[in-house]
Amino acid sequence: MDVTKILKDSYHVMAKDLLELKRNRMSLAALFLMPLLFLVMFGFIFPTGTTQQHMPMGLVNLDQGQGSNEFIAQLEVMNKNTSFMDFQSYSSVDDAKTAINKGRIYGVFIIPPGFSENITNGKSADFTVYIDNSNPQSAMQIQQVLSTTVSGMNNMKAEANVVQLGSETNQPVNPQTMIFPYIPNVQTTIPGETNYFNFLAPGLMIMIVMMSVMTGIPEAISKEKEMGTFDGMLSAPISQLSVIIGKTAALCTRGFIQCIIILAIAIFLFGVTIQGNILLAFFMLLLGIFSFIGIGIMAISMSGDQASGTMIVNLLMFPMMFLGGIFYPIQQMPWFMQAISQVIPLTYAADAMRKIMLLNAGIGDVMTQILILVAFGVVTMTIAVPLFRKSMTR
Amino acid sequence: MTKNAIEIHKLTKKFGNFTAVDNLSLNVKEGEIFGFLGPNGAGKSTTIRVLCTLAQPTSGYAKIAGFDLVKESDRVRENIGLVAEKMIMYDRLTAAENLRFFGKLYDIPKQKLEGRIDELLELVDMQKWKDTQISKFSTGMKQRINVIRALLPEPKILFMDEPTLGLDPQTTFSIRDIIRDINKSGVTVILTTHAMSEAEALSDRVAIIDHGKIAALDTPENLKKLVSSSDNTVFGIKITNLTSELIEKIDALDCVTTLAQQDHHNLKISANGTNAMDRIIDTIRQEGGSIASITNSTESTLEDVFLAVTGKQMRDEASEKASPAHHGHGNAPKARVR
Repeated sequence: MDVTKILKDSYHVMAKDLLELKRNRMSLAALFLMPLLFLVMFGFIFPTGTTQQHMPMGLVNLDQGQGSNEFIAQLEVMNKNTSFMDFQSYSSVDDAKTAINKGRIYGVFIIPPGFSENITNGKSADFTVYIDNSNPQSAMQIQQVLSTTVSGMNNMKAEANVVQLGSETNQPVNPQTMIFPYIPNVQTTIPGETNYFNFLAPGLMIMIVMMSVMTGIPEAISKEKEMGTFDGMLSAPISQLSVIIGKTAALCTRGFIQCIIILAIAIFLFGVTIQGNILLAFFMLLLGIFSFIGIGIMAISMSGDQASGTMIVNLLMFPMMFLGGIFYPIQQMPWFMQAISQVIPLTYAADAMRKIMLLNAGIGDVMTQILILVAFGVVTMTIAVPLFRKSMTR
Repeated sequence: MTKNAIEIHKLTKKFGNFTAVDNLSLNVKEGEIFGFLGPNGAGKSTTIRVLCTLAQPTSGYAKIAGFDLVKESDRVRENIGLVAEKMIMYDRLTAAENLRFFGKLYDIPKQKLEGRIDELLELVDMQKWKDTQISKFSTGMKQRINVIRALLPEPKILFMDEPTLGLDPQTTFSIRDIIRDINKSGVTVILTTHAMSEAEALSDRVAIIDHGKIAALDTPENLKKLVSSSDNTVFGIKITNLTSELIEKIDALDCVTTLAQQDHHNLKISANGTNAMDRIIDTIRQEGGSIASITNSTESTLEDVFLAVTGKQMRDEASEKASPAHHGHGNAPKARVR
């Protein structure tokens, strides 16, 4: 049988499958909702890098001297720009602690008596910050905000002191270079502000396509097998390859539609910027599909019916989802998990996608990933196709 | 001499240890309607599947329309149409879309395909449903589309696996008419059925198949003569106080060739010899059985033939399920699991 006939039949099978999909309102709705749900879920649940604002904080001033009033005024000025904290004064430490226990405030600044006196005497002015760490997440954030705010205030104080010392000794000084001789100049691979979403979107695209195709293949094939329509195709003079190619192509089309939805949401809702070549990204998607489609075909060839086929696929898909480096960087996993992730095609596909979309990597930069994915696909397909053929004429 | 549409030689199909088709050899002539008759699980469907290249034979070979089943499977597929037990149609597509899809797989040129679709829809009187989704059709309407779907590529041989299963009598008759029309236009038809009347009404020749083997093969008329021409008598007998001990006693008589229990009271007996009926009645009386009625079939049916050649009563699935309690008795057929 010649190649044109195989491709022509594949096209007919694909067109038929898509027409069936178009008529099926439920699966059409699911097609659009799935990427939407995934993106919104992961986009909002995971920490995005921005700190929570307006955290309620208590303020207890047991000193009431000039120094402490100045300190509080500066604290409020510093906080004005960022609005990380909202302050509320309490007359005693006990009152503030009660408020913490009632959950009204996350923590309290306690300025001890003698604070102003220490400042004027040139001693270090200690104060206490009492933090409710029953919520580790906000406790951590308060500590971060606290250290930046306090170090900012220290800087201001230091600068003022240095300038004063300079004028006293008649030496022209640059307080900046005096206090901060080392200044790092941070540049990132991705220009502009980035968030977790930038990391997530490319991997999510490839993962959704993978899920679509891997669960779709056993479903599409065994449904027809159980309905009996498969016999109609196979008793016609067409190659079994056409059935596989046609069904895969239909699933790819579905996956591509979902990818475009993901891309649109990522760009418009989460402000992800695409640096790289979109065409190369889509090529990568296609290659990703090729690399794991064999596994789906193997699953259905070995199981026979839809329920067990889908079960096998799910069993394979879950570790892939979490170990493929979609949600968490692989480098942060323990070594044995890293070892497993090395044999998952999704790892390479997601990695390459990220490089292409975020770093504007060219085809040469992701050649290793491409070769690994091709090898994966070739090996699994060589096992899967004869298995499939055998299972068809059992 | 007419040519053979199908030549089957020692065809065997095994599923693990189970032999579904056992050393089957037969020829089907061109232009014939050939019926495979047998109970569920006799191997009819498997035979059809093998002949349609949907299953690989374990051993033996067959020629379909002159092409080798295994070596020239593509050529075989070009020449056959299949009406399988399950309807080959997509519920969400319209009648025309279904026909178009399958037509394209046979590489029928577009214009010719459209003409053929209209022509076939007319054949089964379904033109006005052309653009309606299959899911809205009744079973009978679906089956009509299913049948013409198999006819799209103008096959030389049409395989039909239980073409009237689950249809109401009216639709059954109209499908049978369609089958006859198709056959008249020169198509060889192979059909399987477990309904005696269907095999009798349609087939030029019938192969009674049981345990994957041919038990008898001839025209329906000759098959019936097989039973009635000898000194074999087939009769039904109703015993009001029927017990399994009594059945065993009757079955033990040497004149009884086969015995089948039909329900709580009725037996169907095939017996040999001149005074066979007397001896059976005597036995029943001796054992204290009270005979309510005896029905002697004047003209034997294929059912009697089946009983005579396989030693079993032919039953359809429905009645087997209705009386599961009797499976252990006499020679009643046991449900086999494929």
